[in-house]
Amino acid sequence: MTEEKILEKVVDILKPYAKDANALANVSLETNILSGLKVNSARLVDVVLAFEDAFGIEVGDDDADKVETVGDAVRLIQGKLA
Amino acid sequence: MAAGAWSRRSLALQLAVGRLAAPVWVPLAVLLMRFVLRWRIREAGRCRREYAKLLEERRPLLVVANHLTMVDSAVIGWGLGSAIGHVVRYRGLPWNVPLRRRVESSGLWRTLSYVMKCVPVPRGGDRQEVARVLERLAHLLRSGETVLMFPEGGRSRSGRVDPEATADGVGRLIKEVAGCRVLCVYLRGDAQRTWSNLPARGDTFTIATRLVEPRTGLRGLRASRDLAAQVVGQLVEMEREYLEGRSAS
Repeated sequence: MTEEKILEKVVDILKPYAKDANALANVSLETNILSGLKVNSARLVDVVLAFEDAFGIEVGDDDADKVETVGDAVRLIQGKLA
Repeated sequence: MAAGAWSRRSLALQLAVGRLAAPVWVPLAVLLMRFVLRWRIREAGRCRREYAKLLEERRPLLVVANHLTMVDSAVIGWGLGSAIGHVVRYRGLPWNVPLRRRVESSGLWRTLSYVMKCVPVPRGGDRQEVARVLERLAHLLRSGETVLMFPEGGRSRSGRVDPEATADGVGRLIKEVAGCRVLCVYLRGDAQRTWSNLPARGDTFTIATRLVEPRTGLRGLRASRDLAAQVVGQLVEMEREYLEGRSAS
């Protein structure tokens, strides 16, 4: 799966959790999920679990801890799919 | 999930300093609550006896509670043990996990939280930093200390336990510490309607406890989420029982 496809899917998953719709509209790989998109930190686990379901991967606690930006999420998923 | 050597040493030092200061600050805190703020806890004796028995078993014990005021941890500490009891058996006084932002707001807060068994946590921030705090807490639990956490993170704005606000930290800790038991505590003052900074002066608290050992067949993040949900489910149930009891009386 290409990076663009993964990014598209990641943004779709983030939609219901992102409180800042403008930031989501201008999202890039550098966008911070918590401070940029204003995703509640308690909901970040739900986001990562949604990644697991959508991409058929399993993410450990340590990997999830490293997800700060949209790009981190995309690279994590790419790595798991490889 | 293992705390580094430096982290373990700093916790041991903090514990030693706190233990030395305990004969001063623990009775002062209780006197303040009992005689200045005139708070009371119903059936504190029963609660303390049950808690003392759990401490004798020498197994990891995580205390998890609902959260309505800024001093819940102090009132729960008082409910689980008398001033003398905590000074004599200092490990029974649970460690707290206050917000780092509040702790770092002044030198006084920093000093008090250091002495009063606190491990500050960043809220809504870097998960790797939170993970390091959880490592420290796991180390404390494994070494026979008790830890108090509020799974909702902050004070419940609705005044009710909110499963939607639950983070996975509590579940992650239970998962990482083998044989970890969880003492669920539901605390509420009679005058407490929703959330506040302090309970009302002269308020009387009800404290209910329930010991659980959550288990899960899931892995990774799902396991943490499942374990946290089980604990919060207990708090929801305890709140329902409390509210039913209050409306019946």
